[in-house]
Amino acid sequence: MPIKRLFVANRGEIALRVLRTAKRLGIETVIGVSAADRNSWPATFADRAVVLGPAPAAKSYLDVKLVVHAAHATGCDALHPGYGFLSEKPALSRLCEDNGIAFVGPRAETIETLGDKLSARRIAHDAGVATVPGTDRIDSVAAALGAADTLGYPVVMKASAGGGGKGMFLARSTADIRAGFDRSSREALAAFGDGTLYIERYVETARHVEVQVVGDGTGTVIHFGDRDCSSQRRYQKLVEEAQAVAMPVALREKLHAAAVKFTAFANYRSAGTCEFLYDVAREDFYFMELNSRIQVEHPVTEMVTGEDLIARQLSVAAGDGVGVTQQDVHFSGHAIEVRINAEDPKDGFRPSPGRITAWEPPTGTGVRLDTAVRVGDVIPPFYDSMIGKLIACAPTRDEAIDRMLRAIAAFRVEGPKTTLPLARFIVAHPDFRTNHISTHWLEDTVLPAFLKE
Amino acid sequence: MPLKTSDVETLVELFGQSTWEELRLEVDGDELLLSTNSHATLDTPATPGTVPSPSAPPTPPPARDAGPAPAARPAHWLCVKAPNLGTFYTCPAPSKPPYVSVGATVTADTEVCLIEVMKLFTTVRASVAGTVREITAKDGEMVEYDQPLLWIEPT
Repeated sequence: MPIKRLFVANRGEIALRVLRTAKRLGIETVIGVSAADRNSWPATFADRAVVLGPAPAAKSYLDVKLVVHAAHATGCDALHPGYGFLSEKPALSRLCEDNGIAFVGPRAETIETLGDKLSARRIAHDAGVATVPGTDRIDSVAAALGAADTLGYPVVMKASAGGGGKGMFLARSTADIRAGFDRSSREALAAFGDGTLYIERYVETARHVEVQVVGDGTGTVIHFGDRDCSSQRRYQKLVEEAQAVAMPVALREKLHAAAVKFTAFANYRSAGTCEFLYDVAREDFYFMELNSRIQVEHPVTEMVTGEDLIARQLSVAAGDGVGVTQQDVHFSGHAIEVRINAEDPKDGFRPSPGRITAWEPPTGTGVRLDTAVRVGDVIPPFYDSMIGKLIACAPTRDEAIDRMLRAIAAFRVEGPKTTLPLARFIVAHPDFRTNHISTHWLEDTVLPAFLKE
Repeated sequence: MPLKTSDVETLVELFGQSTWEELRLEVDGDELLLSTNSHATLDTPATPGTVPSPSAPPTPPPARDAGPAPAARPAHWLCVKAPNLGTFYTCPAPSKPPYVSVGATVTADTEVCLIEVMKLFTTVRASVAGTVREITAKDGEMVEYDQPLLWIEPT
């Protein structure tokens, strides 16, 4: 059934991104905002904006019933959750379905089974996709010590329910496990309401690679290639690229096949990302987790495929399938994205909200900016600090780097401190140019040098 | 330094997020008045009232239509606003009489209406003693957060 009116349950650049595609497709739009965002760009861009509640997200963007009530009361027949907020809450998918609203994302059961890392690992095993050697749930220090002995140090302890590094810690010895286990479990309990931990073998030199997929919900899955997001700080991505050219082509083909196999096995619906750890020394990869939402870094994939992934999601939600076959997906060029966060990288990444007094983004061929801020806007202190994403695309990675550096140099922002100077430092670094980086490179090599600059 | 459009936009945004009832500013002969009373003018004193919507969404929801514009409300009337988005109900149940009608006397604890969110009903209280003078929201329609529901003349 074609979507007539779409409810956008998000804010910021992803809300605007979704609204733009919906408008292009002739779909009416309604956005639910908090009082702090009633005059934001997405709120004025949508055909209609309704104020859900006050500024704190718990009373507006994070209230499942409020969001679905608003979608229903405004006559919407579909709901896009964006990323973050409620996007990976099974309850939202379920409540939409119960009220005849097409959820632009996976079924509730899929989010439940694939969103939990342990059950996702079991499904990966069943689908024949390799995971990092590790354990099932670990509920005591003694069990953790025994498992680490079998796996061999170093090991990494992770929260079953979580992401974003919460509850995660690295152990190089028995002493590390004794010191970290209880704190990690408490942290996981506080962040996700579930203190369950598990252990994995730790890969010393790893790259974070991932595959973008879109499934139709009945077992057909199309992949849109891979991305490399190895430039991370505390498991938060800062720079993302498509494609993952540091991996041999034959291995990347296996990577795509593994992602398709895993998601097709789960009859995955809508856009998702299979994240893998690429073990550089062994030239092998392990499945890590599935993100059951559109991701922040989806533009780099769009730039190298010419696809509109939000449109693919809407096509699936309307019951029209993915809308392309695997043979229709072609790759050309290289794209790099840097995240612009209103944070001061020179001061412990302290959030820097406030008013934007100058905002002159770069333009030109192969340069894209996804943002929802304008000059004069005030960045509210209540939400995530990301205010934009700058993307550069060119025929080769070298040219994409040059284009990105020129774009950052031309970008004039005044008011809040941003991560743009750090982004420039990362992309200009010789290791980045030669592509000899790992998931620790940013913290171990780049940040110390950047802070001395 | 004259006021720029962006300055005004910022002030309006900050004012909208604040609990202030009125802001008056004079810069180089430019006068700016922001008030929660839609009838306030630069010559009238501060009055409580509805939230202004200087940059409201292009297509305001029907629920915002409070009927024919009433005459200017006396300055001392107080407004009960929606605590969140939801469906506004004047009666506890379809067959029951309304919680209050225009002219009813209320205490601060008197229940004046219901806001429903996915079958979850929350009662809204008057929060001030007085007489109900006007019910601006329509029974059974969606109201947004902070939208005026009814007006009370305090005793």
